[in-house]
Amino acid sequence: MGEEHNVYYWQKVVGNKLLRIDLEKLKKASEESFRNESDSYKQKLVYNMLEAIKNNDQSRFFNILLRAINKPKENFKQLWETLEQNYDVMPNEAFINFAYTIVLGIMATYAGGEKSEQ
Amino acid sequence: MVKGTQQIGMMNQASKLQFTGNWFIDAGILGFVSLMEAVYGWDLEKIEEKIAKDPRKIYYGYFPFAYLYKWLSDRSQEVNHELIVKIKAELEEKDFKSNEDLFDFIWWNFICELFKDSWAKDKSKLIYKNNAYKINKIKKEYDYRNTQIYLQKIEEREKIINEIQKKYANEVKKILKKEKIEDKEDIEKLIEIKDKSIPNDLDKLIELLKEKHFDIINFLKKEWENNVLKAQKFTEEESRFYRIPVDSGFYKNFLFFNFQRGHLEQKRSFFDMVSYNVRNEEMLQKIDKTVNKLLPSEDEFSNISYTKFSSEPFINQIKYLFVYLLCFIYSFEEYKNLGHVLFYSPDLKFSYIVNKKLKLHKKKIEDSRDPNAIFKFTWQQIINLLVEYKSSWSLENMYIISYQRLDNQAQENVEYIGISKLQASILLDDIIREMLNKRVEYRRIKNNFERKWVLEEFIKGKSLYSIIFNHVKLVLDKEINLSYYSSFYSLIVDAKILELREQKESKKLFSENYFNNYKALVNEIKEEIRFTSYKASLIREISKDSAYMERLARELLGALEGEDKTMFLNILLKDLNEEKQLCKNVNFNSWIFEKIVLNDISWKNYALILVTHLLLRARRR
Repeated sequence: MGEEHNVYYWQKVVGNKLLRIDLEKLKKASEESFRNESDSYKQKLVYNMLEAIKNNDQSRFFNILLRAINKPKENFKQLWETLEQNYDVMPNEAFINFAYTIVLGIMATYAGGEKSEQ
Repeated sequence: MVKGTQQIGMMNQASKLQFTGNWFIDAGILGFVSLMEAVYGWDLEKIEEKIAKDPRKIYYGYFPFAYLYKWLSDRSQEVNHELIVKIKAELEEKDFKSNEDLFDFIWWNFICELFKDSWAKDKSKLIYKNNAYKINKIKKEYDYRNTQIYLQKIEEREKIINEIQKKYANEVKKILKKEKIEDKEDIEKLIEIKDKSIPNDLDKLIELLKEKHFDIINFLKKEWENNVLKAQKFTEEESRFYRIPVDSGFYKNFLFFNFQRGHLEQKRSFFDMVSYNVRNEEMLQKIDKTVNKLLPSEDEFSNISYTKFSSEPFINQIKYLFVYLLCFIYSFEEYKNLGHVLFYSPDLKFSYIVNKKLKLHKKKIEDSRDPNAIFKFTWQQIINLLVEYKSSWSLENMYIISYQRLDNQAQENVEYIGISKLQASILLDDIIREMLNKRVEYRRIKNNFERKWVLEEFIKGKSLYSIIFNHVKLVLDKEINLSYYSSFYSLIVDAKILELREQKESKKLFSENYFNNYKALVNEIKEEIRFTSYKASLIREISKDSAYMERLARELLGALEGEDKTMFLNILLKDLNEEKQLCKNVNFNSWIFEKIVLNDISWKNYALILVTHLLLRARRR
């Protein structure tokens, strides 16, 4: 399966270990997890995440992300699983794609409506 | 019976003009066509028609005359144009028993007539009678039935020359810039002098010299008329005297160019050459030797398989091989700045048309300061012809062959160009080609904008991204208008080629659809164009404020300039975050995800497309 859709994968050999993240799956997990949150909360979250990515601050990004999903809700189960497998060994190059995938996933779940107030 | 018919069929086939795949022979065929066109004004179609009707008349009649006619006129010697009208009329009318009859008719009546003046002038070159002898024996080239009269006339002229030299050494030195009257050119210089300050006596002597000189020429012309044109025969012994004065730096020392051959031998070897009547190995070897000099040597082109050219195996396939080989040099066009140039592809008509069109632009190419002008013009012609010739095979195998000189001494410098299979198959698509066939501004130099022809860069296999990037930058600075469609198509084509290369590297070399890759690529490009033109255009909904869009475009272009994907996405997503409708638009969201986030190969191309959409909308409002 995976071989045919290699464009959706990020993979890299780290040490002796083949590390692979299915970014499409991750995006879906991100969408599922944040679907029921409020728009204004998600907009702020996205903004903070983007700031962390901009500063190339991995730990801040994961701090925001982990705090956001560290709630006793079923929604985050799949995302947790993905993170557990990967985040602690994530190299820098992968981080960018990983982080923007999460962000785009959240953005896809906006309920919509008028432009938010800044 | 059947066998006989087959043989005739094969014979006609062998006379037909068709490319062989051997560029050297093919160049000869092109040269043959070019020669016939130059002399008789027939285009390829007409020549083919005439060959189909009666190949003998073309090869044994029209060709020998045309070849020598061109030889003479190329050396700026006077040629009698009326002979062309006459030869056409007579050849159309007459029927000939054999090839030899036909050839003889042309030789005696037209070729000999053509050379009357130049032969007489050549024979008048003997200035000093003594030079006609070698160890008290008359040289063969001056020996014929009326040698005594001829030499007497030479002697009479010589006396005047000696008198002039003796009495007017200073004047001679002043006029000729040298001490001695040595050759025919010196005599002509003296005769043509119109200086009133020269002494009267000298003037009279020069007048006398002129008289004698023309007397010799007229005498010789008469001899030619009587003994050659009218009698149409002379002995083998006299043959050297009547030798037709032709030589060739290129085909030196063989066939009729050999200085040792007399008139009759010249005639015979010309006939043998046309009829491929090779009696001895020597002739074949000499031709092969000449041809091989022009071919790239093993050292220079180690990557092509190289074997020595041998004409022998072609005997049955190409009936008039030697005719073509002899015309090789006529396939080239000489450009002041480039040397001798020929465009070659494996298709006769295609090559013929491109070369003909190039000739039309010769002056422009010569005057151009751009050293690549020849390539530009060539590609332009190729593009114009593409619709007619949808053969990627021809496109792949195109060459611009150039020689600095076409003679024995200085050769090589053959340049091969070709459009790769990849580029060729994309170019064959009408719409894509049309969209790339634009010159877009990409640089400002003082008050002018320098343009790049996108198609040319594409053919050269260069990246189109950087051209379009520079173009968009100029648009952003409000200097020019955006060439949207050219930019869009360029970026997509460029992206797809990058992606294909990446795929090829990562996949096994011979995957299932390896050979269909290029066909599939064109379809992929078209599909991408359809999807991306819609999905990327959604970015226009990000705002209704033109100033805002301009600002965003500028920031995004800044990130692209630094090739900073993180920064690009950061700016884009931060602005997008304020437009929730657009954020959640599945088409747009997943397009960004797929084309930019997931794509490390060609993300810049898609990113730049987004910028063009922002600019397009901002400028419209």
